[in-house]
Amino acid sequence: MTLTDTPTKNSAPGRGLEVQGLRFGYNGTTILSEVDLAIHEGEFISLLGPSGCGKTTLLRILAGLETPGAGAVSWKGKAITGPSLERGVVFQDYSLFPWMSLLQNITLAIAKAQPGISAKWRRQLAEDYLEMVGLAGAARKYPLELSGGMQQRGAIARTLAVGSPVLLMDEPFGALDPVNRARLQDLLLEVWSGTTARKTVVFVTHDVEEALYLSDRVIMLGSSPGRVIHELRVPFGRPRVRRDLVGSDEFTRLRADIDARFRRDVIERIEADSTVNSEGEGV
Amino acid sequence: MSSTFSPEASLNGASSIAGEAATAGAVKVQGHQRQGRVFSPLRFLVGKEGILFLLALVALWQVVSGLHFRGGYLFPSPLVTAQALQKSLPELLKGTVSSFLILIPGLLLAIALGIFWGLLVGTTPFLSRMFSPFARFASPVPPTIYVPYAIALLPTFQTAAGFVVFIGAFWPVFLNTVAGASSLQQRYRDSARILGLGRVEYLVRIVFPAALPHIFSGISVGLVFAFILLTVAELFGANAGLGRFIQLYADYAEYPRMVAGILYTGVVVLIVTEIVEQIKRRALFWVK
Repeated sequence: MTLTDTPTKNSAPGRGLEVQGLRFGYNGTTILSEVDLAIHEGEFISLLGPSGCGKTTLLRILAGLETPGAGAVSWKGKAITGPSLERGVVFQDYSLFPWMSLLQNITLAIAKAQPGISAKWRRQLAEDYLEMVGLAGAARKYPLELSGGMQQRGAIARTLAVGSPVLLMDEPFGALDPVNRARLQDLLLEVWSGTTARKTVVFVTHDVEEALYLSDRVIMLGSSPGRVIHELRVPFGRPRVRRDLVGSDEFTRLRADIDARFRRDVIERIEADSTVNSEGEGV
Repeated sequence: MSSTFSPEASLNGASSIAGEAATAGAVKVQGHQRQGRVFSPLRFLVGKEGILFLLALVALWQVVSGLHFRGGYLFPSPLVTAQALQKSLPELLKGTVSSFLILIPGLLLAIALGIFWGLLVGTTPFLSRMFSPFARFASPVPPTIYVPYAIALLPTFQTAAGFVVFIGAFWPVFLNTVAGASSLQQRYRDSARILGLGRVEYLVRIVFPAALPHIFSGISVGLVFAFILLTVAELFGANAGLGRFIQLYADYAEYPRMVAGILYTGVVVLIVTEIVEQIKRRALFWVK
């Protein structure tokens, strides 16, 4: 455990996503080294870091789409060995199947998650989820007829329709304009806090503001190689009001603190490398 | 999952596919390209260039056929050709039926097998490693050279010609299907894995539709190949069909009928190609 800030006081939830001694390399390059994480059930965390810090790789490992080189990854104590409907994923590049209508995309997901239910009921459910994300009128549309924001709403609806207790999101709003991004952030929070059994969310982003606004805890990843450099508990209560929060001194202070830590990490990395080099030259 | 087929192996390598360009940004450019400035005195021609060119060709044909020179009988005038066409129409229609009875089974079988096998090879590394050396050797062989052997080997002319049509159409369909299947975008593969799709469902609902743009360009090429092979085979040994019609009247030196047969065949191929194009447009409506 590398919880550097105050440990959880309010809730004593069960074991959620656990990562121990994780290492991952590709073609001899270390992408992630010695990552330890403990994410509680129902917690909303962000993986925050610059490009190349392995945050997407970490998410893919949690999804079961990649196999770690070393270390253990588990959900509720059960080792993660492959993809599962327990862990829904929303990708940055809208991954709805473009040859199916929105409705068909979502009914397919429901059919896989709940094979028993009738086609009619499936359609009804799919329409409900589309309504939840504000796409009630677009059920018959095909993904490429829709804007990026609408496609991503559809992808969220698909993941929700599966009913996964874990939601893994890989920079889902990264390609959207600021207004749509804010709208979808609010939609996500609304959906997440609206349910009685809150989903465990792992949200990958490089946007400090987004991480602070959305999550309970921000896990900062540094690059070359990817590793956890700091964990920060977000002190804001919920529900959060964007206007009040983003302008507040506390928010500004946290944002500056995070930026400073990233800068410091970069400098430390560079200096560490040059030390190694100069020693190497001396030999 | 990647196949060892290189895109160059595709007979239709140049046809980069609209599906690839489907990402948001690249979509909206097309409509604006037509509005380039046109030199004003010729503006009334815009949009009619194609038909005007055809008319000019016919005019040129008329002029040439009116000249007196040695071998002039090889250029029957448009009018004479049109009359020959009218006279030969029943015979040509019968020939079309006979040709299509060979073409369609061979072509459909090639499309069905090309897609089926292409989807499997394109998604199965083992099959790709096994089959691609053979495909690399066999696919570039010009199928026309099989014609005499097929005629000698198979019991009837119909089966022999059908077989050659099949070979000619199979490779383009197969190679393009492999290219489409093996270039399936990672995000769709990931989504399919997360949803837990089974192997068959994955091939039918994900890989097949995703590869459809490639598959259709394979079919377009295969169709042209099929026509070429069919008519070549008919020149060799048919007793009916479009190729046979042309060979027959060439032998009798009835050039008006022969030219009429060539034009008629062109129109038939155009119609079939247009039908395939319509099917493609309907099947790929989701590609922007």
